[in-house]
Amino acid sequence: MRILAIDTALGLCSACVFDSDTDTAIALESIEMVRGHAEALMPLIERVINRVEGGFETLDRVAVSVGPGSFTGLRVGLAAGRAFGLAAEIPVIGVNTLSAFAAPYLGIESVDHIASVIDARHDHVYMQMIRNDGKLVLPPQITPIVEVVSAIGSVKVRIVGSAASLLVAAMREQGHHPDAEPDLAGPDIAWIARLGAIARPEHALPAPLYLRPPDATPQTNGRIALA
Amino acid sequence: MRVLGIETTCDETAVSVVESNQDGEGRILSNEILSQIKAHQAYGGVVPEIAARAHVEVVDLLVKQALATAGLTLRDMDAIAAAAGPGLIGGVMVGLTTGKALALVTKKPFLAINHLEAHALSPRLTDGVAFPFLLLLASGGHSQILFVRGVGDYVRIGTTIDDAIGEAFDKVAKMLGLPYPGGPEVEKQALEGNPEQFAFPRPMQGRKEPNFSLSGLKTAVRIEAEKIAPLTGTDIKNLCASFQAAIVDVVTDRMKMALRVARADFGEPTAIVIAGGVAANLAMRQALHRLAAQNGLPLVAPPLALCTDNGAMIAWAGIERLRLGLVDGLDTPPRARWPLEAKRSADV
Repeated sequence: MRILAIDTALGLCSACVFDSDTDTAIALESIEMVRGHAEALMPLIERVINRVEGGFETLDRVAVSVGPGSFTGLRVGLAAGRAFGLAAEIPVIGVNTLSAFAAPYLGIESVDHIASVIDARHDHVYMQMIRNDGKLVLPPQITPIVEVVSAIGSVKVRIVGSAASLLVAAMREQGHHPDAEPDLAGPDIAWIARLGAIARPEHALPAPLYLRPPDATPQTNGRIALA
Repeated sequence: MRVLGIETTCDETAVSVVESNQDGEGRILSNEILSQIKAHQAYGGVVPEIAARAHVEVVDLLVKQALATAGLTLRDMDAIAAAAGPGLIGGVMVGLTTGKALALVTKKPFLAINHLEAHALSPRLTDGVAFPFLLLLASGGHSQILFVRGVGDYVRIGTTIDDAIGEAFDKVAKMLGLPYPGGPEVEKQALEGNPEQFAFPRPMQGRKEPNFSLSGLKTAVRIEAEKIAPLTGTDIKNLCASFQAAIVDVVTDRMKMALRVARADFGEPTAIVIAGGVAANLAMRQALHRLAAQNGLPLVAPPLALCTDNGAMIAWAGIERLRLGLVDGLDTPPRARWPLEAKRSADV
């Protein structure tokens, strides 16, 4: 299966065309980027697709990261992915960024549990925890760091993601010493593609995974009293 | 020539297919629109993050629907157009990225449209208005008077120095407890009210530069309303009627001045045009109709559905620009602010 994978949810702007039968990236580009995805993404995809003989017509699927991550960033990737699906008439698969961070450690014997962590600011993280056989232990959530520490402190866990060091520091303060991987700017785009290849389209819709409601409160101030 | 147009700059997701014939006349083949009004009502105005979330859920489905209604496919398009601003940046990104992606797959030219330019050119789609014309562009987010000389050739004659005209309606509605969007509500209440009950100021009236200032008028309404609170239904009707009478007077006076400036500096327009959501206000239309007639000019107001935000105006602006070969790159950035004059001087 040939997949176009896209990720703009965190600190990378990435795209690759991936052949899942040979487990190889045919063309791949990934740039570290905090903002500016809306300008950079489409020329980047154009460069990637131009290196693939036959272009869009040879694709079987699109896989796109759906978050959690930057709200605007993940929407850029999703808008692009969904439009590609429409124009090329192929399925679009949504891939959770936390799963993409954890996926490289699945099935590794020395690893027991894998906790994926993304900074959600204000002392919160987006996190999920799975076992090394893929079973979901803690579903994707936004949680205060202190609560994550008490929830997973006694678990044999490897911490991965873009804010692994943040959680590790908090755990050490409480006397826990988990295994951890270095922080990554974003998920490896090849893993977005691999997860996109094995997902069933009806179970992995390309819909945003924000985990946090929009910052808005109903307003009634400034209203003049009615009789 | 056929162009697909995508609009996501505020709280409407809209997609349309427009075609032009050899004589340059436009025909709308589909005009799909999904309004988010209900999602924002509780907040008394558009919440940018709620708007952006809604756009990304539906814009591709609307593209599909617009093509189906037109009985065409993406391959039948000559280009893909999307609004690149000005507007709420999160929403702009969604429509802009969608448009670029469709253009990339189908290998069609991409057109990044200025939302204000699309409003400015829409009377040419609906009424075939010839250049040059005097345009009042008035909505909840924009209030400007433009002399439209050609595609990409806009002279701003006047603008608001504080609130937009539609914004003033919305704010008055909000303080009186009327639902969002406030414009139509204020108009409805005003129908049964006495426009002379309150003598509200007419800010800037008579000034030579045809600019608006509306925040003082809004404050005057608040002061009067607080004086007589708690408000009865009749109070609200009278406040609305008196406010609307004042703002219509101001707009008419400013347009009169703008016409004088236009004639003196740029020549005779073929028409006075009103576009944007405020063009839906009947009192405003009637007053501008009188002004146009007094000056021997027609007043052109596009049909209501094409005065408020829509995809057809984006597609049409795309056609006008494509004819001139003004296509854009896939690296075009979304823009929260994008004044018309600045962009166009860069083009020539």
